[in-house]
Formats: sequence, structure tokens, C-alpha cells
Amino acid sequence: MSEMVAMRDAFIGKLYDFAKKDRNIIFVSADMGAPGLEVYRRDLSSQYVNVGVAEQDMIMIAAGLALAGKKVFTFSIGPFATARCFEFTKVDIVLMNLPVTIIGVGAGFSYDADGPTHYTTEDISIMRVLPNMQIFSPCDSIAAAACADLTYKSSGPAYVRLDRQVVPEIYSNGESFESGFKELRSGNDICIVATANMVHNALSISNHFASKGRKIGVIDLLRLKPVGDDFKKAIMEYKVIISMEEHLLDGGLGSILAEIIIDENLPVRLKRFGLNKYMYAYGRKNIQKLFGIDEDSIIKAIENMH
Amino acid sequence: MEPIEVDELQNKADMLRLATLDLCVGAQKGHLTSAFSCAELLTALYYGKVLRYDPKKPKWEDRDRLFISKGHASPLLYSILKDLGFIPADYLEDFCKTDKLGVHLQSNVPGVENTVGSLGHGLGVAAGMALGAKMDRKDYYSFVLLSDGECCEGSIWEAAMFAGHHRLNNLIAIVDRNYMTATDFTENSVGLTPLDKKFEAFGWEVKKIKGHSISEILSCFEGIRSFRRMTPFVIIADTVKGKGVNLSENKPAWHARVPKIEDAEVWRNEIRTVKGVCHE
Repeated sequence: MSEMVAMRDAFIGKLYDFAKKDRNIIFVSADMGAPGLEVYRRDLSSQYVNVGVAEQDMIMIAAGLALAGKKVFTFSIGPFATARCFEFTKVDIVLMNLPVTIIGVGAGFSYDADGPTHYTTEDISIMRVLPNMQIFSPCDSIAAAACADLTYKSSGPAYVRLDRQVVPEIYSNGESFESGFKELRSGNDICIVATANMVHNALSISNHFASKGRKIGVIDLLRLKPVGDDFKKAIMEYKVIISMEEHLLDGGLGSILAEIIIDENLPVRLKRFGLNKYMYAYGRKNIQKLFGIDEDSIIKAIENMH
Repeated sequence: MEPIEVDELQNKADMLRLATLDLCVGAQKGHLTSAFSCAELLTALYYGKVLRYDPKKPKWEDRDRLFISKGHASPLLYSILKDLGFIPADYLEDFCKTDKLGVHLQSNVPGVENTVGSLGHGLGVAAGMALGAKMDRKDYYSFVLLSDGECCEGSIWEAAMFAGHHRLNNLIAIVDRNYMTATDFTENSVGLTPLDKKFEAFGWEVKKIKGHSISEILSCFEGIRSFRRMTPFVIIADTVKGKGVNLSENKPAWHARVPKIEDAEVWRNEIRTVKGVCHE
């Protein structure tokens, strides 16, 4: 088995392969590093730009490079990649529909000692309001590498949110992620729809119930925007959908599902698990517990469902 | 190369003022005074053999890029683009009425490089374009027209620092230094002086000129095709907001205001009389 790598290194590693053959790929960092980026910088220095701690400038420079014919990937910590420079993304990237992929590292509580300035828990809401912005939220390094492939081949703007920590692989190499979701477990009546790190929690919850002879479905919604029709068909197979996210409830994964259920008039009940406030709290498992999105809390909630 | 007639260009600038006035009066929309303040600057760039462009091929790969960061000067640019044949005349008839042209610039208009309206965007995008040109060993210039008021935006200085660091000598910024913002004079709100020293400190070569003097504007661009500078270049053009019509000059109240249709003739006459322009 190969050594486990962080999602950002998997993404950059895949991008490196493309960039070696395509000199129009430019990586623009706002003073953000990664072990995988060191190799890229060494071998492809002419395709790397560090704008310094200046996220607005990161987006403007990316837009100018894209207008000059480049395919640009920007790199920063989640809240700075999204909220800090939001209006620049709107005007300079989205309104001109430029091929710029914004990479935000630290999805959810993955910087779990850094506090609410670094917790990336509002980025989905912020970015999904932008028309033609694709949003990818992978749960392991194989899916993250696939996002490099999908965004490289895309001709418009995209946002990719990556976990900071090294997490166990869920997927195997060679899987296709074109549909934007994966049904990892099929269930009888209840299905958990999760994204990013919470997919791991969802699987462990499903395993817990499986050991007791109860089948709970798990869907990894990897592409949060756009969500395809196949996903809508998949959730119609269930009576109850549970959403799990390390993200504020307003506008996040649960909101996406609620909107689909209402817009499509689906006969499905939805229960959302996520955050309702900012909190000074540390240690990922501890934070999840404080917000009631840890495995035990959700197992209890499912047990109490009628 | 034929000598450029400064008087002809001045005449052109005033005809463009008249065209801009008609455009804004017709729609009862637009930022006339902000457009008037940069009439000579854009006239010199487009008609003074400074910019490299081809109206028949607006996306020509080797054209110079001119980013208008003060996007509210759109009616002036649209008048120029129509005059040069980038856009058909009927485009202007739809100004602010259909989906073609609005008060701020949109990148889907032939000859317009960027969508802009909110301030503080143009310099960074122009810097990215200049860097892209260098990566591809292209010899086009990236020009950007800034308002002085937008130099209060931090993003301008992020971009200025970036351009200075990367020694983007294919980047030329022009600041329309009319000393006015939407509601006041710049030095009464948050003073920008000394603007030249600020840019110098960020690694730029600076030239201060009279921004309504065609000859002074043109003198800034001598020799640019041989890339004699090692740094980005900023021209701080001393201008008057509302230039050309006395009652609108230096009057904050005229920001984003347009004379009524019945009052417009006074404005027209003043532009014609003061400058001796023969309209039509």
C-alpha cells in the first residue's frame, strides 16, 4: 500500500503531472505551502507565483493571467481563499467566467487547533451563491486528485475545498467521479448524505448499524455544485435523508438538500446535522461532539427516529 | 510616421465629450463628469498612435490591453469604440436600455477587456495580464486607467507592490488625478498626497503631467516599444472632474448626475464654444 498523503498534496501531485505537459497551468499561492508544492516549485518555477499574504491580489492576478490565456489554480487557507476576497472572485473571475480554480485548504475543522478564524465552516454557503461556480468537496486524497483532473478539464471557475489532515482512503485508484457523488452504502429507509471529512463519520455510523443488522445508506456528495439529476434519483430511494457537515447550516450541504427536496417536490424527510454558530473550541473530535455532529450523537439521533 | 496633430486630437477629445453627453442625456444615466476628466487621456491613447489595436479583430492576440479600472467612465469608452468601429452605432442607442451596454463596463462588448464597476480591481488584473505577457514572451503592453479616488482601496496597493516586485515594465498605469471622489475632494476625505511618492516607494517610475494636455500625455509614451524602463510606469495625470463644462467642473454634486434633456444644449454649447469644436 502506498504512503498516505494529504489531499492538498494529492491534488497538487496530479496538477504537477498536467502542468509538466501544459505550460499554461499557473499556480498562484497567497504564501501558502504544502510538501507537494515544493516539488512543483522546484521543477516548474516559471509556472508558480507567490503573491504574498494578499488574497485580493491573488484573485486579481489570477484573473489577469487567465485573460492572458492561462489556466490558473489559486491556493490559500479556506476562509481567506473564499470570504476574504469574495467580491474579487465575483467581479474578476465569475462575471467573466474565467478558468480559475480556487483551492481552499482546511475544510471544516481540519485546522483543529487554530480556532474559528481558520475553521472553514462558511465557504460552501459563500461560494455556492456564485452562478457558474463549481464546488468540489472531496473526502480523501484519491477523490482530491480526481478533483484536479475535473477542474483542469473544466473551462470555467471552480472552488475545491480540501482537508488539511491526512485521512484514510475511502476510494481506490481509477474510480470515476464524473457524476459528482458516490453511493458508498445502500440502505433501506435512511441514508446519510455527507461531504468531505464527515463522509468518514457517516461510514462509521453505517457500520455501527450494520453490525446490528440495520442498513443505513451513505452518499458522498463530492460535487456540491452543480448537483446532477442522478443524485436526485438516488435520494428518492429513501424515506429519510440525514445531512452531515462540518459547516454552518445556513446555506451548506443541508440547505442544498432542502432546496432540492422542495424544488423537485421529493417525498423525502430531511434531518440536518451541522453548525449553528462560531465557537472557540479545539480538537476535531471534541469540536464535533460540542456541535453534536460526532458519530455517537448522530447514532443516538437515528435510534430515536420514528 | 505622420506627425500627430495635437489640435486635431483636442478637437477629437471634445467631440467625444459631446458624444458622451448625448449618450448620457439620452439615457438620463451615466457618470459624465468622470468621463470628461479623462477625455484627453483616452483620446491620446486611442487616436495618438499609442495603443496597438484592430477594431476588426477586437481579440487580436497581440493587441495592447487597456483595462479601465474606473468603469463608470464607460460612456466615453463606448463613444470611442463606436467611433473606431469596434461596436455598431445602434449599440449606443440601447445604452442602459437593453442587455448590450450599461453604466459600468462589461467584458462581452467588443473592445472592452474587463468587466468592472466596483473600484480597486483594474490594477491587479492588468498586472496579472502583464505577467502573463512576459511568461509568453509577448510584447504587448498592459495599460490601466485608474481613478484617484479608488487609490483608497487596499487592493490597489497590493497590486502596486506585486507589479513593483516583478518589475512589470510592460505595465503602464494612468491615474486620472482629478482630486475628487463621489462626495468630496480627495484631500478632504482621505488624502492621497503625495501619490507620486507612494508609487515610487512601491517600485514604480512616476511621471506627473497635465492630464488635459494632449502633448504632455503623448510625451509619456515616446519609446515605449523599446521597453526602456525596468519597472512599471505610472502617469499621474492632473485633471479636472467635469472638464469642459464650467458648471460641472470641480462640483461633487455632479457625480453620477446628468443634465435634463432641456438643459443639455447649454452643456453642448459650452463644449463647442469654449473649445471651438465644430460639431458634425
